[in-house]
Amino acid sequence: MIPEIGYIRPRNLHEALEALGASRETVRVIAGGTDIIPGFHINSRRFRDIQTLVDISGLPDLTFVNLENDGLHIGGAVTFTDIVKNPLIREKYPLLAQAASQVGSVQIRNRATIVGNFVNNAPCADSVPPLLVYDAVIKIQSTRSEKTLPLEDFLLKPYKTQLQPDEIVSEIVLPPLKKEYRGEFYKLGRRRSVAISRITLAVLVKLEDLVIEDIRIASGAVTPIGMRFRELEEFSKGKTAEIDFLKELSVKLGEEIMKITGLRWSSAYKLPVVQQMFYLLLRRVCNR
Amino acid sequence: MKKINIRFKVNGRQADLTIAPNKRLLDVLRDDLGLTGTKEGCDIGECGACTVVLNGQAVHSCLILAAQANGAEIITVEGLTQNGELHPLQKNFLEYGAVQCGFCIPGMLLSSYALLNENPNPREDDIKEAIAGNLCRCTGYKQIIQAVEAAANESNE
Ligand code: FES
Ligand code: FES
Repeated sequence: MIPEIGYIRPRNLHEALEALGASRETVRVIAGGTDIIPGFHINSRRFRDIQTLVDISGLPDLTFVNLENDGLHIGGAVTFTDIVKNPLIREKYPLLAQAASQVGSVQIRNRATIVGNFVNNAPCADSVPPLLVYDAVIKIQSTRSEKTLPLEDFLLKPYKTQLQPDEIVSEIVLPPLKKEYRGEFYKLGRRRSVAISRITLAVLVKLEDLVIEDIRIASGAVTPIGMRFRELEEFSKGKTAEIDFLKELSVKLGEEIMKITGLRWSSAYKLPVVQQMFYLLLRRVCNR
Repeated sequence: MKKINIRFKVNGRQADLTIAPNKRLLDVLRDDLGLTGTKEGCDIGECGACTVVLNGQAVHSCLILAAQANGAEIITVEGLTQNGELHPLQKNFLEYGAVQCGFCIPGMLLSSYALLNENPNPREDDIKEAIAGNLCRCTGYKQIIQAVEAAANESNE
């Protein structure tokens, strides 16, 4: 059952921010609703205190995808279907398009927003690893302030972010990326469609002759939240992308993840998959 | 709870309603408008039985508040039949034996309908993707896919 709630449909971002800022009730943003509504149904603690919903789905101020000098701007109510169909995203940030195309089902992708995916900050949020390797920056607005910060800093722990009750993530900015970068994304679910991720990996590499000039590595679902592996990235820079090194790096990624999560019943299954798949991804991006 | 006024078009007809904000689109379609062709299965966006077409897109009516559909154009299974004549998808579902218990079928039809409107020449993979969010416990999907292919071919003749 959906509890008794109030509902506000603002006409623009300004009205949405006012609605969030003005009320003394527990007001929460709803966009696609694909997390909140099932959450109500299972009486999830995360949504129990909501008194009023402010609906930003389809808000014209928040449904843009624009290429500007400082990168690609994606509005706060852009859906996964919008992402999958956008030729600019497919061309310039293909890992994001790929991850988006594997979220839920057509029906979910038509409603669910990419910002909702990480504002919710479930460990299995598929869009997070690609956004992290693309160094995504987000813009947060309220009636009192406007700020930008890296997505990586915004995500705190499972289901917890830096977002304050009166704030809205109004856009994502993906900085321009040099053409030489090559990337791969991998998702493992328990089945092919409508699957919750068990493992997600994203990697971006820039090679100069065979030397790794830059590498960005991120995971999701196997780690408590989507995260980058800065130490491994530093360790890899300047190394030659030979088979032996790629193997070593894959083993290290597995070890790193084990350090973070500790031993679990599923480790014996997941660890070899993470290492093997990461090795395959590395071979593909490095052409080895 | 303060009620709100909404209006949308369902199957071409204007509907004006005063509803509680916690009503889902599914509830309003079934209970207020009597359009019980749209089915309630899992209530959490996993089975697709509640699928309707909203502004041209297949969506789960169990995951949308009715208020969120304000101003929208909605098509339910009741709207597929035109002047008493079954839609080519419906005819081919019958033709290919794609219906057993029937519970998933309204959702299957609307997912397929949204697909064909957007892509009149779908490959088998496109059809599979379009109905990936629609569970069928009876047919094994094969006949459903064949029926959608046949309906596409027919409309392209
Ligand atoms: S009832 Fe809506 S997806 Fe199952
Ligand atoms: S025909 Fe029975 S569930 Fe599909």
